[in-house]
Formats: sequence, C-alpha cells, structure tokens
Amino acid sequence: MSEPIVRAVNLTKRYGDFTAVDGISFEVRKGEIFGFLGPNGAGKTTTVRMLSSLTTITEGEAYVNGYDVRKEKVKVKKSIGVVQDVSNLYDELTVEENLRFLARLYEAPMENVSKLIKDFNLPAKKKFGKLSSGFKKRASIVAALIHDPPVIFMDEPTIALDVRSAKMVREMVRVLNVSGRTVFLTTHNMVEAETLPHRIAIINHGRIVALGGRNEVRRLVGSEVRVRLKVEPLKSAIIHALEEYSPIFDEDSLLLKVEDVDTFMDELEELKRELGFRVLHISTELPSIEEVFLELTEEENGEKGCACGGCPL
Amino acid sequence: MMKVYAIIVKELKEYMLKPGAISWGLIFPLVFSLAFIARFGDIDHLVPGLVSISALFGTTSFVSSSIIFERRLRTFERLLLSPVSYGEIIVAKILVGTIFGLMVSTVTLLLVLHFMTYPLWSVSVTTLNLLLSNLTFAAMGVYISLAIFNPINVMTWLNIIRLPMMFTSGAIASLTLFPRWFLPIGLVTPMTYSVDGLRYGILYYYDVVPPLASALTMIFMTLLFTLLSIRSLRRLY
Repeated sequence: MSEPIVRAVNLTKRYGDFTAVDGISFEVRKGEIFGFLGPNGAGKTTTVRMLSSLTTITEGEAYVNGYDVRKEKVKVKKSIGVVQDVSNLYDELTVEENLRFLARLYEAPMENVSKLIKDFNLPAKKKFGKLSSGFKKRASIVAALIHDPPVIFMDEPTIALDVRSAKMVREMVRVLNVSGRTVFLTTHNMVEAETLPHRIAIINHGRIVALGGRNEVRRLVGSEVRVRLKVEPLKSAIIHALEEYSPIFDEDSLLLKVEDVDTFMDELEELKRELGFRVLHISTELPSIEEVFLELTEEENGEKGCACGGCPL
Repeated sequence: MMKVYAIIVKELKEYMLKPGAISWGLIFPLVFSLAFIARFGDIDHLVPGLVSISALFGTTSFVSSSIIFERRLRTFERLLLSPVSYGEIIVAKILVGTIFGLMVSTVTLLLVLHFMTYPLWSVSVTTLNLLLSNLTFAAMGVYISLAIFNPINVMTWLNIIRLPMMFTSGAIASLTLFPRWFLPIGLVTPMTYSVDGLRYGILYYYDVVPPLASALTMIFMTLLFTLLSIRSLRRLY
C-alpha cells in the first residue's frame, strides 16, 4: 500500500448555522485515482475547495503532499492542479497566452507550455472563448498541469460535456494517472465511478457514508447478491417460477436479485427437475456502484421513490 | 513583481475592450467633457474636475468590469488557486485600473487643454496628481467591487457612489459656493483631493485643500482602500 498524499482529519466546513462538510476523514494514496462521489449539495465541491485552500477550513486538519493546508498554502498550491467544474480560463486570450500567463504565476518553465500544447493537441493560437466546450475542458485540464503537480483535483470534469468530449476527458484522467499523478475526482457520473477510481468515498449531507476499494464499497449495501443465470432451453415457465427474484434479461442471461444463495440453489435444483432445463452458466455479481450510491444516498435523503407510487422515480 | 506584471498584461488583454470599461470608462467621461466644452466654451475652471471625472470613471469602470467578470465566470478562482498572494492580486488590479484610468484621463486632459484660455501651470505637478488620483480611484473601485457580495450589483452601487461624488467634490462647482455645512461632505469625498490637486497643477490655485495635504490624503486613501480590498477578498474566499 502506497503512502497517503492527501489526508483529511475531521474536516469540517460551516457557513453560519449550515454545516456543508461535517467532520470527514479520509486518505488518498499516492498514484491512485480517488473517486469522491455524492449527490448535488453533498459537500464534494466544498471539500475540494478546502483541500485546495480556496476556502477556509472551519475545523479539522488537511494535508496535501505533506503540507498543512491551513498553514502552508503556497506549498499546497504548488503541489496541486485544480480542474474546476467550469472551464475558467480567459476568453480573450489564446490558449497559448492563457498557459503562458499561468506558467508565470506558477514560475514554471515556459517549455512546459509548448510541450503541453503539443502533447494534448491544443489549438495554441485560438482564443479560449472560441473553443468548443470539449476543447475548453481539455485546455482547462492542461492548465492544471502547467507546473507539473503531483496531485490533480478534478471537480465534475465531464459535467455538461457531450458523450465524445466526456470520453476524451476520462481518457485524459487515465493518462494523468498512468504518468504517476494522483487524481482526486469528484463526480456523480456513475460511468466514471465504475471505471476510473481505484478507491471511492461516497459523501452525503457532508458525511462520508462509504469508503474503500470499488468492491469493498459494493459489498457495503444489504445482503442482496445479483445472480447471473444462463439456462437451456429458456422457457417462460422458468421465468414465472423465478418471479420472486425480480428476473431481468441481460443479453442471453437472466439477472436475479437473491438474498439467500443456498435457498436459491435448492430451489433451482428442484426447478431443474420439474421443468427439465440445463444450467449453462451461473455466477454471482456484486451490486454496481450506482446501486450502492443510490441506496446509501437515498436512505439518507429519505427519497426512496415518488410518492405517487405509479411512476418509476 | 513578475506575477503582478503578468496579471496586469492579462487584464489589459482580457478586459480593455469589455463593454463596461468602454461605455462608462471611456465614452461617458469624454462625452461629458465635450458637453461642457460645447456649453461653456471657456472651461478653464472646469478642466481639473473634468480630468478627475475621467480618472474616476476610467479606473472604477475598468476594475469593476474585470472583477465582475472574474467573479461571475470564476476566473478569479484561477488566480486564488495559484501561488499568488492576496496582496499581489489586489496590487495588480489597482495598477491595471490606474493604467487604464491614466490613458482615459490623459486623453481628456489633452482634449480640454485645446479649449483653455491659459496654459497648463506645471506638467510635473499635474502628472503627479493625475497619477495619485488614478491610484486612489482604482483602489476605491477594487474595494467596492469586492465589498459587494453579489457581483451583479457592483455597477449599480458604483454609480450610486461615484455620480454624487461629481457634485460633492467641487469638480463641477467650487465647494466654496456651497453652504458651510456641506464642507465636511466634500472632505470625506476622495475626489475632492483629486480635483484640488489637479487644480493646483493645472491652474496654480486650490479650492479648499492645500496641494501637499491633497497628495498625502490620496496616498493615505490608496493604502486604506488597498488594505480594505485585501480584507474583502479574504472574506469572499
């Protein structure tokens, strides 16, 4: 296990009577992609703002790259690159001028500018305001790399992007990670949550409700296991008989929600004898991150579904 | 200082041609000056006031325009995320406002000089007072732009403050023509010191504040608004 590069201890942020982040503690290990998930208003952005010293910490401690966020702001700022949820470079400046400006602020070598423009295929002479939203995001990510920081904070990097641009951003996240950087990724996009992070924290109402590796987090909710079952021949009688397990078709298999796997296996044996079919494949799967996310955040919010009972919400 | 210089260059490229800076910062003071020239012809006694009004509107419009844009588009956070101190950011904003204000007020001065009966008394004293006026107004504009919580209200508040200043400072009519009780209002108006300082440099007389006192008060106000701006910035972020 590698050493922590970001550490939050009892981190709290209050705005008057409202507590946006409520005593959270976690560590981000060097070289990992850390997914910080949560619904809107859960405290994700406030946490990033505290860790990047953009807002003051009300209580608790935070360390980035070994530096105390409260006391060593300049060293923290030099250790991090921040990609915010908006693409906030300067519209009237070209991409190159924007990057040169930031290089001056960070006292980074000017060679970084031309290298990054080349590496990430950016239109150097085009004004930032004239770029497509995808290129704006790409340029914003590159801007965060100008001083070659070991830690990158990305706050909802694919929000409001089209499918192609979002995919490009996810690829950039992987490239950054492969190049040795630690990525702190806040998102409520479940595609990202399923594929990118090595470890995940789920925050809700300012508190961390799940923390661990992807599979660890998946195991956190309920005792329900998803069983993938492939039988031959597939008869409607089999589906009827398995109705209590809420069967759904997924490609050529049935996906079933099973609480007690032993009882289910006994029932399946009985059904095989009764209805005469062969089991070609059977396996168990953990719930998706999306399911875990919904369960953990819905429970907290008390929003299990629409009150009308008739719509799928 | 390299960081301050980088911010100044960036600001000039980004905000020089923004509508707020052009309309309130350039067109308004020039049209205002031309209106007085067309109406009165002999404008010698009005020149310091017109130049000071140009400096006030040039500086405050530029800095407020840039700060409103940066707060709304969150480019301000770019600066705050970089290893630049709050003081460097504020100083850069004040200096770039001063540069823009100097450009506008110098154009106004050159324009109105053509219509003066007497020649300008001292180029150096006028230049010094022009510089101090722009510094004071830029610092005041930065403070107002950061002190108001919602950036969309900044321009409204700025006008509520700076439009009456044209009358409470003696820029249009001498403060000696007003009742005695009005003088304290004039003395708490930063523009009074700018107008009297410029009046001394251009016409070799002053209205209510001696030249040295004007210069020292403007330096004091610049420092005060700079410190207040840093405090406002800390409160906002």
